Amino acid sequence: MLSMLEEVVLLAVDEKTGHLESPRGFGVAYALAGAVFFDLALARKIDTDTDEIRIVDTNPSANAIWNRVLDEMRRRPEIRTVRDWIEALFRRNDDLEGEALASLIAQGILRLEKSKRLWIIDVERFPIVNDRPRKHVKARLAQAILTNEIPDTRDIMLVSIAEACGLLPYVLSEPQLEARRERIQVLCNLETISRKVADAIGGLDATLRQAPLRLS
Amino acid sequence: MIQIAEQIRSGWCVVEIRGRADAETAEELERALRSAIGQHPKVAADFVAVDYISSAGLRAVLQAGRAAQERQAEFTVCRVRGPVKKVFEVSGMHHVLRIEEDLPC
Repeated sequence: MLSMLEEVVLLAVDEKTGHLESPRGFGVAYALAGAVFFDLALARKIDTDTDEIRIVDTNPSANAIWNRVLDEMRRRPEIRTVRDWIEALFRRNDDLEGEALASLIAQGILRLEKSKRLWIIDVERFPIVNDRPRKHVKARLAQAILTNEIPDTRDIMLVSIAEACGLLPYVLSEPQLEARRERIQVLCNLETISRKVADAIGGLDATLRQAPLRLS
Repeated sequence: MIQIAEQIRSGWCVVEIRGRADAETAEELERALRSAIGQHPKVAADFVAVDYISSAGLRAVLQAGRAAQERQAEFTVCRVRGPVKKVFEVSGMHHVLRIEEDLPC
């Protein structure tokens, strides 16, 4: 089974060009940090409440990213809230996207194609080799958003991260998304981690909006 | 630590939950609620004695609600109080689950 991080990164690969779509720029880094915490929650390594996050299982896993994040959490007990941990993971500047892509390539879902633009600039593409996992992710997102059923925990998390990354327009049409906006908000709000990711992205947007004022 | 007991009242299976619903107890909570939903057409989860709920606990309740939907059983969460009620409100659980002030029976 793919991790939440891998599923979101897979969704960001344009199926025609193999290029990565990242419509929300810096906000995506917060969302990917959120995906790692969702993975840890699904693996029952951490638990959260409305504010705090805590480790519940210290045994190492087979996933290098999870172990690295859990190690850091153990070393920095002074950081307690979900929001602060999302910020801390953001500031580490880990290449979460790159690690997820490497894993998807290793699993035979994507392949790496390198080329040059204007003979100088390195360009990487990730054409899809096995389309089944991506179709599965898209089908689960569509089902969770378009019906009124209670989705599986994993699919609730997936909707909230895909929304934070701005990837839902690659799954459903604009009219469909517009019609189901309230449903998407309900699903995103159910999980503390996604609420805090949205707060962090909101904070970043506000900072970026103020940046030109500080310069003048 | 969590304690769970079942009572049948006026056609409802009331699942009385006492203690903390967190990562340590979520599996037990979900199992108990699913089991009640599997055996009874009307299930009420009585939260009056639950004093803490984490995200793992909320997910357990939500997935029990999903199981009830699949079986077309009635499922209601009742008498959520204090800080636990606040968590339910912040998460917007009332949008996806039936939540009542009192027991239905």
